[in-house]
Formats: sequence, structure tokens, C-alpha cells
Amino acid sequence: MIAILVDGIVQGLQLSLMAVGITLIFGLGGVLNLAHGQIAVVGGIAAALFIGEGLNPWAACALGVLTAGVVGLIVDRTLLIPAYRSTGEERLLLGLLITLGLSFVVNGYLDFKYPDVALTLSLPTPSFSVGGVVIRTASAAAALVAIVAFALLFAFLKGTLLGKVIRSIIQNEVGAGLCGINSGKIRTLIVVLSAMMAGLGAIAQGLFSSVGTEMGNELTSFALIVAVVGGVRSINGTLVAGVLLGIVNAFASYHVGAYLTLLILLATAAFTILLRPHGLFAHRT
Amino acid sequence: MKRGRHRADWVALVVVAAALGLVPLAVGDSAYFMRIATLMLIYMAYAVAFNVIFGHTRQLFLCLGALAGASGYVSVVLTVKFGLTAWLSMPLGIACAALLGGVFSYVSVRRGLGVIFVGIVTLVFSMIFHNLVLGMRGLTNGETGIETKGAGPGILASSPASYYVVLAVLVLALLVYHLLLRSRAGKAFQAIADDELAAELAGIDVTFYKVLAATAGSALLGVVGTIYAYYSGFISPTVYSLVSVDIAVLVTLLLGGMGSLLGPVLGGVVFTVLDEIVRPLGRLNVMVYGVLMILLVVTFRHGLVAMLRKLLGVRIP
Repeated sequence: MIAILVDGIVQGLQLSLMAVGITLIFGLGGVLNLAHGQIAVVGGIAAALFIGEGLNPWAACALGVLTAGVVGLIVDRTLLIPAYRSTGEERLLLGLLITLGLSFVVNGYLDFKYPDVALTLSLPTPSFSVGGVVIRTASAAAALVAIVAFALLFAFLKGTLLGKVIRSIIQNEVGAGLCGINSGKIRTLIVVLSAMMAGLGAIAQGLFSSVGTEMGNELTSFALIVAVVGGVRSINGTLVAGVLLGIVNAFASYHVGAYLTLLILLATAAFTILLRPHGLFAHRT
Repeated sequence: MKRGRHRADWVALVVVAAALGLVPLAVGDSAYFMRIATLMLIYMAYAVAFNVIFGHTRQLFLCLGALAGASGYVSVVLTVKFGLTAWLSMPLGIACAALLGGVFSYVSVRRGLGVIFVGIVTLVFSMIFHNLVLGMRGLTNGETGIETKGAGPGILASSPASYYVVLAVLVLALLVYHLLLRSRAGKAFQAIADDELAAELAGIDVTFYKVLAATAGSALLGVVGTIYAYYSGFISPTVYSLVSVDIAVLVTLLLGGMGSLLGPVLGGVVFTVLDEIVRPLGRLNVMVYGVLMILLVVTFRHGLVAMLRKLLGVRIP
């Protein structure tokens, strides 16, 4: 029982790690990034390739995360520019279609070039026990990665001036612009940061199962579900929704099987949009 | 002026029907080319449906494959597993698709969902559909798919006949599209596409016209989906997946030009040619679709029809 709960929380944290990127990019750039999972997979595959080259796993993972960040930077500075140039509904639409196209490009390329590469990280000790509950080291490590990342993110957003600036743009882009904030530069920063968090999410995924080239769509859809349920503009909401859905996922997989679980999650997302379009926890950003 | 435009539409319709009708005479003896030609018509018809839904009323349905598939699967399962005749199961499947599309549209208009949320809801529906098909193995055989040979109307199984059936559906769809746009609905669509709020304020029943567009488009998707199911002799979730339907249709329509009569047709021709060119690339063709989609969205948003209009200075419907 507790083991399932722990498992769910770990999975949930990792889902939030992916989803928060979608939330941030949508909140700041007005672009719903449908290639988020693909960017994560790029990070994971890059790490796997670096390990294949004989690099130290730590360094390889760091490079993987960095690769995801670079992809984010390139996407932001090239592909998304036409979207940023337009406003309102037009921007949403352009961003959605461009990133949807991008997700196919990345999927197609990775499938073609590295069909057999997958990232699997194994830790020296498989499990340890705390108060009678056996915990997999991988889960603990993945949870730790996510918690640290979130702690840093919150510290950054709440504690620094730049963080304040970012929150102000999410709340009101025009107002922020009137205060002399250059939202373009900050947007780039956020896209890179989000991409790196996605890469981190993929590496956390590699800790307890494996990341292959075909996982992009799955990661994107899970992240999207979490972001939608949490409210696509709310960072706290995303974190809570991720953990919540992770727990639901774990219990449902255990009791009714993976197939129905996915349906439950998808239905939750659909109903959230229909009943509370701004997310379950929308009142705070 | 008005008469002239309508005459151009009729001429275009006749030319399209005649030109496409002559295709079997040119390639009729090659089963391979006939299949490609038929698939081209099928995608054109899908694109006409999407044109009505998205091109005119700005409802981003990312569940085209799922709607076509819902119709196809309902009909095939009823016929193959429950022994219902295809003549009865096909309308049921089509009604199912139309109903689903109408409900999505109604709910999203009522809830005031923006284009992006309609996209997400329908995308989520696509995923639900695929998981249902994969999960209900007893009915759908999951990934393996269902053999439909001999189950459907015989006319869909023989070579040039099936082509003409699909062509008839396409021409009929274009005809209905033309008549729809000529009527009050056409003006309403235009107003909605320009500015929804203004349309509402001008007394246009936005809900009604959006639901109308979505229902009509989804019904057409359903028709094509069932025809495809019996024509190809086999259906599986892949046939109706996001990549094989939605993306292809999106690219087709963007290529041809949204909101025009001939856009889906021109786009279909170009897309089929492109598809044949990239086929040898195998797995890479997904990537080519992606690149194409980005390029089209960014640089070629108005499509071939608009380009030809500009280049030739001719009125093209």
C-alpha cells in the first residue's frame, strides 16, 4: 500500500518535472509546446550516446540535459519566431502547429537514426528500506532529482528579481512590457530552462525504466495531461496535479491495469478542460 | 459579379470531376496506381471535411482520424462480429461520427473554449479512441486489426468501381460544400472566421453554425472512414492514427489553401506526388511530413489556390 503510494508520488514528481515546462512556456510564450516530450527524449538519447562513448554517467547525464537545453534554445530562436511575431489566437495556433510538426520531425529523425539506442541507468544498490518499507534506490534518486529541481525553480521564481519579472509576464505580458521588461529574452531563458527540466525528467525516467526513441509521444501526452489538469498557467497547480495524477496512476495501474488507467487519466484531462478550463488549481500562479 | 463567381465554381466542379474521372483510363490496369489514386481521393475528401470544420469555423479538430475511425470501427465491428449487413452498419457508423463531432463542437462552444483548448480536447479524444481500440481486443482484435474482405458492399472491392464510388463521394462533398457556402451558412461562416464576437453581436447564431459545420464535416469524415474500411479490406488502429490521417490532412489542406473549394483537391494531388517521392525514405517520411508542416505553417499559410490566384490573376474558387 505504502509502496504503491511512494511509487505514485515519485512518478508524479517526475511527471510534473516534464509538465512544468509546458506550463512555463505556455504561460510566458503563449505557445503550447507539443514537442516537449520529444525534447526530453533528445536529452535522454544524447545522454545514452555519451555513455556509449564511454563517458562518466554523471557527465553524460549533465551533457544530456545540456543538449535538451540547446535544442530548446534553437527552437526558440528559429522555429518559434513566426509564432512570437503574431498575437492572440493566431500565436496559439501557429505555436501549436509548429511544435506539432517539430514533434514529428524529432520522432522521425530519432527513429531513423538511433532506432536501438535507449537510456537505462542502473544504480549500484537496487533498493534500501526505511522503517520496513522497501524503496528502490532508483525511485529515491528520481524523486530527489525532481524535488531539488522544483526547489531550485521555486527559489528562483519567488526569491530573485528575475523570477519576479517572469511571474509578472505570466500574469500580464503587456503590463510587464510597459514596465520596461524585455519579454523576448526572458522567454528564451524560460524555454531553455523548460527544455533542460524536460531533459532532466527523461534522465529520471531512465533511472527506473528506460527512455527509447519511441517514447516522445507518450511523454508529451502525459506532460500535457498534467499541465492541463493543473491549469496551463499555474506552476503550483502543475506540481500538485502531477503528484496527484501520479498517485492515481500508481493505484489504478495496480488495481485495474495500465490500459484503464490511461483512459482514466485522459478522461480526467478532458473533463478538466470542459469543467474548469483554467485547471483545478488555477487561482494561484 | 456574383453570378460569375458561381459559374466559376460550377466550372471548377465539372473540371475536377472530369479530370479525376479520366484517371482510371490512364492508369486503370495498374493495381498499384489505382490504389494510390483512390487513396488520393480519400484524402481529398478528408481535407474537404477539415476545411469546413477548421478552415471556415476555426475549430481545430485534432481527431479527424479518430472520427473516421470511430465510424469505420463501429460499422466493421457490427458487420464482422455481429453479422449486421454493411448497408445498415455504415449509416450507423457515420451517424456515430457526426454525433461525436457535433457534441465536441457544441460543448466547446458552450464552454467558450479557445482554439487551443478545442485542439487539446480533441487530441485527448484521439488518444482515448486509440486506447479503446487497442484495449477492447475482443471486439477490435487490438493492434492486429480486422479483415473486412467480403464483408462490405461488393462495389467497394472491385478496382475501377471503388474509385468511382469514392470520386462520387468527393464530388458530392464538394457540391454540398459549394451549396453550403452559397447559402446563409456561408455568410455566417465568413463572419465567424473573421470575428466570432462581432458575428454573435450581429445576430448570427454562432453556436448553431459552428455545430452545423462540425457535424457536417464529421459526417463526411465518417462516410470516408467507413468507405475506406471496406475498400482497403483491412482496418487497424494505425490506419486511423494521428500521423496517417490528421497530419496528412492538415498538410494537404495547408498546401492547397484553406477556405477554398479547390484547395483540398489541389493539395491532395500535390501531397500524393510528394508522398510517393518520400516513400523510399521509409521511416524518415514522418520527419518529412513534420518539416513540410512547419514550412507550410510558417511560409505558405494561404496555400496553392491563393498563390495561383495571385500569379495567374484568375478567379479560382
